[in-house]
Amino acid sequence: MVDTIKKNIKAVQENLFSSVGSSILTIVTSYLVLNFFRGMFGFVMTSDKDWLSVLNNMQLYMVQAYPEDDFIRVWLSVGLTFVFAGLSIGLWRSEDRSNVSVMFDRLFKAGLGLLFFTIVAPTYTSYMGNDGFVITEEVFSSSSRLRILIPTLVITVGFFILKNLKINFSYNNSDAVFFYLFIPVALIWVVKLPTIQLDQNRERIIPDPLMPIANSTKIPWTIIFVSFLVSYFIGMYLKDKKRVKNVMSISWFLLPLLIFSWIFKKPQIDMGEVLTGDIPIFVIFFALGLATVLLINNPIFKKYFSLYLGVLAVLTIGGLFIGIPMLGKVCLLLLSLFTVVVPAVSTSKEGKRSLIIIWFVALVTLTFLLRGGASETGIVVPGSSIFGGFSLTWLLAIFGTYVSFPLGVLLALGRNSKLPIVRIVCTGIIELVRSVPYITWLFFASVTLAVFLPAGVEFNLIIRVLMVTAFFSGAYFAENIRGGLQSIPKGQYEAADAIGMSPFQKTGLIILPQALRAVIPTLVSSAITAFKDSSLVTIIGLFDFLTIGKTVIDNQSIPVNFVGHQRENLIFVAIVYWIFTFTLSRRSMKVEKRLGLGER
Amino acid sequence: MSIIQAKDVKKWFGDFQALKGISMEVAEGEVLVICGPSGSGKSTFIRCINRLEQHQEGQIVVDGTELTNDLKNIETIRSEVGMVFQSFNLFPHITVLQNVTLAPIWVRKKSRSESEEKAMELLERMGIPEQANKYPGQLSGGQQQRVAIARALAMEPKIMLFDEPTSALDPEMIKEVLDAMKVLAEDGMTMIVVTHEMGFAKEVADRVMLFDDGQMVEENTPELFFDKPKHERTKLFLSQIL
Repeated sequence: MVDTIKKNIKAVQENLFSSVGSSILTIVTSYLVLNFFRGMFGFVMTSDKDWLSVLNNMQLYMVQAYPEDDFIRVWLSVGLTFVFAGLSIGLWRSEDRSNVSVMFDRLFKAGLGLLFFTIVAPTYTSYMGNDGFVITEEVFSSSSRLRILIPTLVITVGFFILKNLKINFSYNNSDAVFFYLFIPVALIWVVKLPTIQLDQNRERIIPDPLMPIANSTKIPWTIIFVSFLVSYFIGMYLKDKKRVKNVMSISWFLLPLLIFSWIFKKPQIDMGEVLTGDIPIFVIFFALGLATVLLINNPIFKKYFSLYLGVLAVLTIGGLFIGIPMLGKVCLLLLSLFTVVVPAVSTSKEGKRSLIIIWFVALVTLTFLLRGGASETGIVVPGSSIFGGFSLTWLLAIFGTYVSFPLGVLLALGRNSKLPIVRIVCTGIIELVRSVPYITWLFFASVTLAVFLPAGVEFNLIIRVLMVTAFFSGAYFAENIRGGLQSIPKGQYEAADAIGMSPFQKTGLIILPQALRAVIPTLVSSAITAFKDSSLVTIIGLFDFLTIGKTVIDNQSIPVNFVGHQRENLIFVAIVYWIFTFTLSRRSMKVEKRLGLGER
Repeated sequence: MSIIQAKDVKKWFGDFQALKGISMEVAEGEVLVICGPSGSGKSTFIRCINRLEQHQEGQIVVDGTELTNDLKNIETIRSEVGMVFQSFNLFPHITVLQNVTLAPIWVRKKSRSESEEKAMELLERMGIPEQANKYPGQLSGGQQQRVAIARALAMEPKIMLFDEPTSALDPEMIKEVLDAMKVLAEDGMTMIVVTHEMGFAKEVADRVMLFDDGQMVEENTPELFFDKPKHERTKLFLSQIL
């Protein structure tokens, strides 16, 4: 251990004080950095900052005005996501192990951060009072500094020693996720902070009683953590089962749709319509698809196949103008598309089986969504939109990326296509969407889009914004991916051709995987941009995460008074944005490293 | 019975005529070496045989199927004809084993276990079974080229085309690739090899051809080609490279 310390001192000498010039630079820079942090800590700790305005408004930040009676939907969505995550981590459990010293190193660094704060934080700060005079106050007394400093120092030094003891104990990297998640869940129960409480007359009880940080949500969070843990073990148990991983991947793809419909609608379903309309339509179309797959190699059916396809096409177009249920119209369209694909895919027994499964899942999802989606919304929210706060920001980011990424891939491939019509249409869409600012598109969504839709079709503002966002980030994704496509050498196409691959196989197995890998950094920066740009929706009257902090909380007056406490909230908002984008970029770096294995 | 028949094949790149009427036949099991100066159209010609380039006039018939714009024909021929490139063109994002099994699984629709077994057999034949789970980028040039040969063989082709397989290799790696090709020739594979390795031509080839300026100048057995060339052009070419 003495060696380590000596080595570190030597490294400091060599890197920071190697010459007179660098010594001066080091001293000046550290003076500036220290002063910056002193100022910041002082700013955070002065008594005119009311951090309760942040703590007390967590619900507003997360879901804005979503009715409390229906919170169970939100909790179930969050819980379901965590269960899926647990299952996936269990299924794809990595065999990588880390030595325990890695964990001690992280804890040591966290301790160093805390130590830095305790030492650097100023004793006195001054701020401008309401009457215009500068007020100086003691924010961090020497006794409380010592009270924090000594235990922190002990813990930090303890971790430093543990880290260098070379303890021969390793843990699984996937298991560690639970340890790291356990820390915040435990903190929810243990750490207590002053909380605003109202008495029966809705008057504020003063002084504020001490309560656990997440007093009202600690039980749901704990339940979610436990079910996360349980699903992890279930995932580990199912690890070697066949096809489970495929089902899991598809489920991730369907999850956002389900959650979106779940939070958005509280379907009031007319069972009579389901029995007389939905189920017969479902059975008929499933039977038709099944028959097509099973009969495809029958010579008689083959002979009349193009005729059958023609009839389907006519019915699909004709169906738009006659009064059959919406489900029927969509199913007709889907059946035509399906029938076109069948001959190419159903060459083998396995292909046939997966086709039938896909057909079944697609029909079930469609029936479910159309019935649930067409029903009246049972959730009543004051104001214009059902989503607000972080749920809106998150929705725009996730849903935007989720829809726009495949769209971007298609547009990029289309723009590189040899077929002139496809190329022109795709280029047109990309150029049109990219040449107009996002804000203009948002106005387009809120004001103009309704004019372009057929009469009688109306979408909620949120859905219109999502549509516009999908196209907008889709166009950017498309251009990024096109750059990746152009970086693939011609030899790769030729090699794929030479072993007899079809154009679809060539694109899906050889070209796209390499193209996407080449542009991961730009794709991630596009996703981060989309996440941050979602705050622009405030312009068309939606209350996103930033707007809540900047405008809404600043206007709360009775019974709490948070007027004038915008700065605390803005700092909080900035930190949350930073945490999410930084995590995203770190994760993407890891993915890049792992995929980089096969690079030339 | 000849497995490849080419009749008066002509090809233009814009105004430049790359092939000026090539006619030839290759018998089953024959090893044909094509040499010639750069720009003489030899690579273009063998790339026409599996339709990586499109000839504009003339006729090419491979194993009884004529090369036309019909996609079915092209796919049939491509699965019968394996090709090895100068720059290997391995797929860098998947392992060596996956490179070799990709075509059998997706094009021939074979099961994974069967294809992997076959792939390991081929890699063993090429002398690199221990590299199966590495990525192409981790291999030397000679090893990569042998993987490329194994990848082409995995489709069980009737014909193998080699487009300057050793030109991008360091001298000490050329031998290992040529040895692998010799083994193939001894097993009775029909091969067309574009190369400047005259030693290989002398030893393995059944016939040697010289291309110049888009035309076939000389066609002969290796003995006669090297010892008693008929044309002045051949003599000049041989004096330059030997």
